[in-house]
Amino acid sequence: MNNVSQKKRAVVICPGRGTYNKEELGYLQRLHADKTEIVSVVDNYRQSQGQVSIAELDGMEQYNMRLHTAGENASALIYACALADYQSINRDEYDVVAVTGNSMGWYIALAVAGALDAKASIELINTMGSMMTDGVIGGQMIYPITDEQWRENSETVTQIKQWLAEVNQAPENEVYISIYLGGYLVFGGNKSGLKALEQKLPMVQDRYPMNLFNHAAFHTPLLKDISTKAKSILSSELFEAPKLPLIDGLGQVWQPYSCDTNKLYDYTLGTQVTDAYNFSKAIEVAIKEYAPDKLIILGPGATLGGAVAQCLIKHQWLGLSEKSDFIAKQKADPYILAMGIEEQRKQVVAK
Amino acid sequence: MSDRNQLVKENFINFVRSGTLPTSNCSLTPEAVGLSAQEVVDLFETQVMSRHLDLQSRVMQKQGKSFYTIGSSGHEGNAAYAKAFRPSDMAFLHYRSGAFVIQRSKQIPGQTPIYDMLLSFSASQDDPISGGRHKVLGSKTLAIPPQTSTIASHLPKAMGAAFSVDLAKRLQMDAEMPDDSIVICNFGDASSNHSTTQGAINSTAWAAYQSIPMPIVYICEDNGIGISTSTPHGWIAANYQNRAGITYLYCDGLNILDTYQTAKQAEYIARVQRKPVFLHVRTVRLLGHAGSDAEFVYRKMADIEATEFQDPLLHSARILLENNILTAEQIIDIYTSVESRVAQVADVAALKPKLETAEQVMQSIVPPARVVKHQHAVDDDTRSALFAHEKHNLSKKQHLAKLLNWALLDLMAEHQNIVMCGEDIGKKGGVYNVTAKLCDRFGENRVINTLLDEQSILGTAIGMAHNGFLPIPEIQFLAYVHNAEDQIRGEAATLPFFSNGQFTNPMVIRIAGLAYQKGFGGHFHNDNSFAVFRDIPGLIIACPSNGADAVEMMRSCVKLAQEQQRLVIFLEPIALYMTKDLHEEGDGLWTSDYVPPKDAIAEVNQKISVFGEGKSLCILTYGNGYFLSRQAEKTLAEQGVSCRVIDLRWLAPLDEQGIIEQVKQCENVLIVDECRQTASISEALMTLVHEVYAGSDKQMPNMSRITAQDSFIPLGAAAYHVLPSANGIVEAANALLQGTAVDQQVKLASSK
Repeated sequence: MNNVSQKKRAVVICPGRGTYNKEELGYLQRLHADKTEIVSVVDNYRQSQGQVSIAELDGMEQYNMRLHTAGENASALIYACALADYQSINRDEYDVVAVTGNSMGWYIALAVAGALDAKASIELINTMGSMMTDGVIGGQMIYPITDEQWRENSETVTQIKQWLAEVNQAPENEVYISIYLGGYLVFGGNKSGLKALEQKLPMVQDRYPMNLFNHAAFHTPLLKDISTKAKSILSSELFEAPKLPLIDGLGQVWQPYSCDTNKLYDYTLGTQVTDAYNFSKAIEVAIKEYAPDKLIILGPGATLGGAVAQCLIKHQWLGLSEKSDFIAKQKADPYILAMGIEEQRKQVVAK
Repeated sequence: MSDRNQLVKENFINFVRSGTLPTSNCSLTPEAVGLSAQEVVDLFETQVMSRHLDLQSRVMQKQGKSFYTIGSSGHEGNAAYAKAFRPSDMAFLHYRSGAFVIQRSKQIPGQTPIYDMLLSFSASQDDPISGGRHKVLGSKTLAIPPQTSTIASHLPKAMGAAFSVDLAKRLQMDAEMPDDSIVICNFGDASSNHSTTQGAINSTAWAAYQSIPMPIVYICEDNGIGISTSTPHGWIAANYQNRAGITYLYCDGLNILDTYQTAKQAEYIARVQRKPVFLHVRTVRLLGHAGSDAEFVYRKMADIEATEFQDPLLHSARILLENNILTAEQIIDIYTSVESRVAQVADVAALKPKLETAEQVMQSIVPPARVVKHQHAVDDDTRSALFAHEKHNLSKKQHLAKLLNWALLDLMAEHQNIVMCGEDIGKKGGVYNVTAKLCDRFGENRVINTLLDEQSILGTAIGMAHNGFLPIPEIQFLAYVHNAEDQIRGEAATLPFFSNGQFTNPMVIRIAGLAYQKGFGGHFHNDNSFAVFRDIPGLIIACPSNGADAVEMMRSCVKLAQEQQRLVIFLEPIALYMTKDLHEEGDGLWTSDYVPPKDAIAEVNQKISVFGEGKSLCILTYGNGYFLSRQAEKTLAEQGVSCRVIDLRWLAPLDEQGIIEQVKQCENVLIVDECRQTASISEALMTLVHEVYAGSDKQMPNMSRITAQDSFIPLGAAAYHVLPSANGIVEAANALLQGTAVDQQVKLASSK
């Protein structure tokens, strides 16, 4: 076939909230000291908003849970790390054929795909990340739907959906599926709803159901007002057509030449905010419609690796049918390259 | 890839780069037709995807990874009309509709059309529509039932589906399709000549002419040639322009703006006015009929080249350039990046697993069971009103036709989704009164008099079943089904198979048939061959011989269709409809009491029935043969022969275990089959017994058979020369018991 480059074709996956943890403190300093431009654009903007700079946050001696996980700080930090990682991908070796992301990672995906320029990116990401400064709306809770070998159990899912419906029978409760996250479901809802659901879900692996600290009820109708507010603050003119295909949280593909930026704006600040984010579907579309040679997960952190692997197993991708297959594959010739993992990062960045 | 494929592929880039593009008389702009610049690019991207999938399938075939290369090249304009309709508008598509499917897949997020089509090309069991059984276009999510049809046999059901949309609304039934749906059905110019097309379009127009809502857009993609035979110039327009009841529209399918605009007009007529449209779309055929077709053998090279220059992708490129939407290099960038993407996905798809065993292949012949949502118990008052006209007769024994009629009354009351259709079944109540009063009780929406066309009757039923109805179509006489049998064999029966059980069309097809009618002779009303059904995988054939069985079996058939989504033939022996007596006039032995629903058996009973306990002779028979065998049994008993008579009742699948259990208890087995010696069920019975005993050390019983002659049924008493009779059965039984062979001619002759 003509015109096929010898480079590896990669789909880039952008991380969501909760990926800049204790271990990631100093990520920018350590790995991206050369990318001062990224940090300065972010911090100039944050300075104008009277917010602490990410340079300072990244450079702190101690990781501060409350400070580093707060939306207004975590979003900008994670964005800067991810963008810096994206710029570190060795383009002599990889062609990026599509970009996707999880949850807040969608905003980062918009940025790395060029649907937002550097200034628009931080404006959107910081604005959306700062929506909860007056108090977090509701919360999120995560629960696994696979067995120990990461094989999805459809009966578990059916049962959970039934419990969800039962919980929502009570007028004071409001809980929704917030994210389809590979082998996990993330629920978003109000406190009483989440508590009621928590009581129905059997405890598994000694930690689930697990409430996500400092997370709001993202991707649920509880954020309808946030969506309206976001649209009043942020203009559709921030958006431009992406340079690369973008796969969103419904599994829709936004192509560079046919992208309607008004629709992209509506999706990003509308549907994406108030409806479930189907990261599993985004990965399914990425692998099936682009058949990439590698999936590159941008740092910080590598927590999406498991969820992505669970998606691969669900679709028997590369013949993987359970966790042990995946681990063997990763050892032999990793298909998922998480830039937050040192060994895998080496395969992505220029030597 | 052959040179021509390569040339068409490369020409696109060369022509776009050099600006050598086909011209058009159409001066429409995107804005004028209501499309944004991005939407035009989006349509073009769809067209390019479809093209590269076609080209890739030919590459894969060369590599032994793909098996059927018929494609959509030249027809990619169907992307534009796909955009004009909703993804819930059920679409019955012919095989050149790749771009339609891709464009529709963009209307529902999360679809993976490239991967899915490549799985289909490579016959992978992961193919989400057919599970690796055929290269079909289809998707449950996108409301595209798969068609294997190459000859427009999908048109009658499209017509039926369209009819069913407003029918469901009138009946306030919770149907599969939304109330304001329309139906899309496309086909080629060559197929437009087929009788199925003519029949379906005629039926559509016949209904629309009398103001029955028929929200359907028939789309004839006219590429001017059917394999190697050219369509006469102007033929499609001349043939369809002035049909009563149907609006004809034309557009240039090479121009996505014209196509979109005209399709929107068509959509308005169908959706808002609920009227049918014939949308004539000009296309070209590129890359030959299929990969195996050497076009140069029958077509001049100049024609081939001229056609290739009319490539719809080049026309779309011209539109993009003329409207300053993209530059030539951007257009080429889309073209080449899609090409490499398709190639990359193809490599992965080709490795996905294939069907490995017969069991896997056959897994979807029988569809999955479903939850019944249209059934309710009927209270006593309602039932009394229903049977008010029969209140003095209900407690009396009745013949088959009357009992079956009552069973249908009860079933229609219990199952709101049952709709009957057929010739003269309405007010007249059918030729034999089996549907008497049904129209009075349930109205013309549920008991539909159709026009005289069996393809349309079955197509109506199949289409209605796609929308959640449980149709009970009637074929007036068995001989009439033969002109329409492909609707059962090629369409209804294959739907679960080719959709991996996702699409189904359960129904009970009532057919009045078989011979022995007194006073109404001749082949067409006395046909005694149903061989046409016997080899259809998954099909159930029921044939009651008496009223009590007819009631019980019809109830079972409705359950089989309603709960298990099965396709059922209910073969009714006409000669036994009104038969009351078995041995002598007035004995009433062929009448039965009516078992009301509350006393009916709950389970489906697909077993044989047994009369008598004799061990000398076992007669295996059904229908009229059972009736005659029961007469013969009396004579044989008087002669001292202990006999048992088995009514097979279900002719497919046979209750093999039940049959063998009876056979094992007897010394002699006589098969009595009122159908022809060749291809009648007698052959299967003979084979069954032989195969069972072949692997056993037990002594096989003596066997013989008496069947009808390999003849058509003549008029009057001459019919009996070629049909088994009670006397003939007695004679054959005696011969069997005595170990003497009787010539078939002798057996039949003695019946005179």
